[in-house]
Amino acid sequence: MNVDKTPAILQRLQSIGITLEKVSFLDHGYWVCKAKFSVGATSEYLLGLYSIQEAAAQIPVTLFRELENKTVLDACAAPGGKTVQLADSMHNTGAIVALDIRRQRLTALANQLERCYVKNAVVYFSDARHVSQLKVRYDRILLDVPCSGNFAADKNWFRRRTIKDVERNAAHQREILAEAVKVLRGDGEIVYSTCSLEPEENELNIDWAIRNLSVGVEEIDCYGQNGLTNVFGKHLDGSLEKCRRIWPGQTQGFFVCKLKRREAA
Amino acid sequence: MIKPIDDFVSRFRAKISLDETLIVKQQGRYFLLNESLKRLARKDFFYAGTYIGKVKDGNFFPSFNLLELIARKTANKVVVDSKTEWLFICGRDIFKEGITNATVSAKRDDYTLVVNLHGECLGFGRILCDLNGKRHGLAIKNILDVGDFLRRERQTATVSARHQTVRAR
Repeated sequence: MNVDKTPAILQRLQSIGITLEKVSFLDHGYWVCKAKFSVGATSEYLLGLYSIQEAAAQIPVTLFRELENKTVLDACAAPGGKTVQLADSMHNTGAIVALDIRRQRLTALANQLERCYVKNAVVYFSDARHVSQLKVRYDRILLDVPCSGNFAADKNWFRRRTIKDVERNAAHQREILAEAVKVLRGDGEIVYSTCSLEPEENELNIDWAIRNLSVGVEEIDCYGQNGLTNVFGKHLDGSLEKCRRIWPGQTQGFFVCKLKRREAA
Repeated sequence: MIKPIDDFVSRFRAKISLDETLIVKQQGRYFLLNESLKRLARKDFFYAGTYIGKVKDGNFFPSFNLLELIARKTANKVVVDSKTEWLFICGRDIFKEGITNATVSAKRDDYTLVVNLHGECLGFGRILCDLNGKRHGLAIKNILDVGDFLRRERQTATVSARHQTVRAR
């Protein structure tokens, strides 16, 4: 949408004292090096000329091949950063179906869509585990699933989580994955991501999907290290190497991979 | 169905044409869909397409998307300088000294869009005096400005600001 205006926007931000530096692994991402005030309170932000998003979280949407005029599912959409990114990549064509199960977060999502002049999204207060009830088949599915998070983004992470929470999240994620595969078109793509570093929510879930849902992992070209193929002494499918793990440092911890139906892969 | 929208737009001495067959009213809120969304959207959606505005207690409250649609047409419009832009976004009214240009054929109490030096719509207000006259002082009463997004965010935001980056759109 406004990607063509990027140089002009950068110049405007610089003129009001915001120093930016290009994120090497993103086409449209910039680190905020110095700012006299919050970058979330400028006229440019309020006019929808840019969005604020964690750097690693910008990766999943960039992994889809051809988004224009497609029917896209954003299964766990709120607060809407990736939904807006999808709409930008689609140039407001096609349709995005965005779901979330927390009503308060849907209000935040609706505000984002209005601020950024998104025109191609329909939002439902709905659980991704029941997405087949909408009776729509999708070309692209973004599964940025609810997860346990990681210590880089949450100082109290070790105090607030137990292994039981991680296992519960992993089971929830598998239900979402299984439902997503049901509504994926034959040659469609799923991008699965979490901001968790736990193998249960990442490689072990994808290994389970390969064995039970007839999907395969696709090669992706993005920042990060190869996924693990040996977890807790257990050998996993070799194709899990094609997943990406982003260890905390410049960004938060992150996991991402792309899946396709095995017959289409 | 779109009378409240037409009535609101006419207060800017403007006219926009919306395809009524693509407008959906959902719990007092109006949405403009495109053809693909119309095929896809069920009746129980939370948000769809372009949000136009809502009717509450008999009054119409526009969205910024609608203001942007009006701004593309011939309409009452004032251009403000950058200092006034910031004050307006913070919810303040506009003094005549801050207006650099006015394309207004309107009378007192009409609505006018407020745009910045880049031609971007910041919101709208009610005209308080003859903008072509020489008198200084308060000229536009702020009714809605884009700072409203921040006020709404304060009620809902819980996201940590750590590791945030800017993504150009």
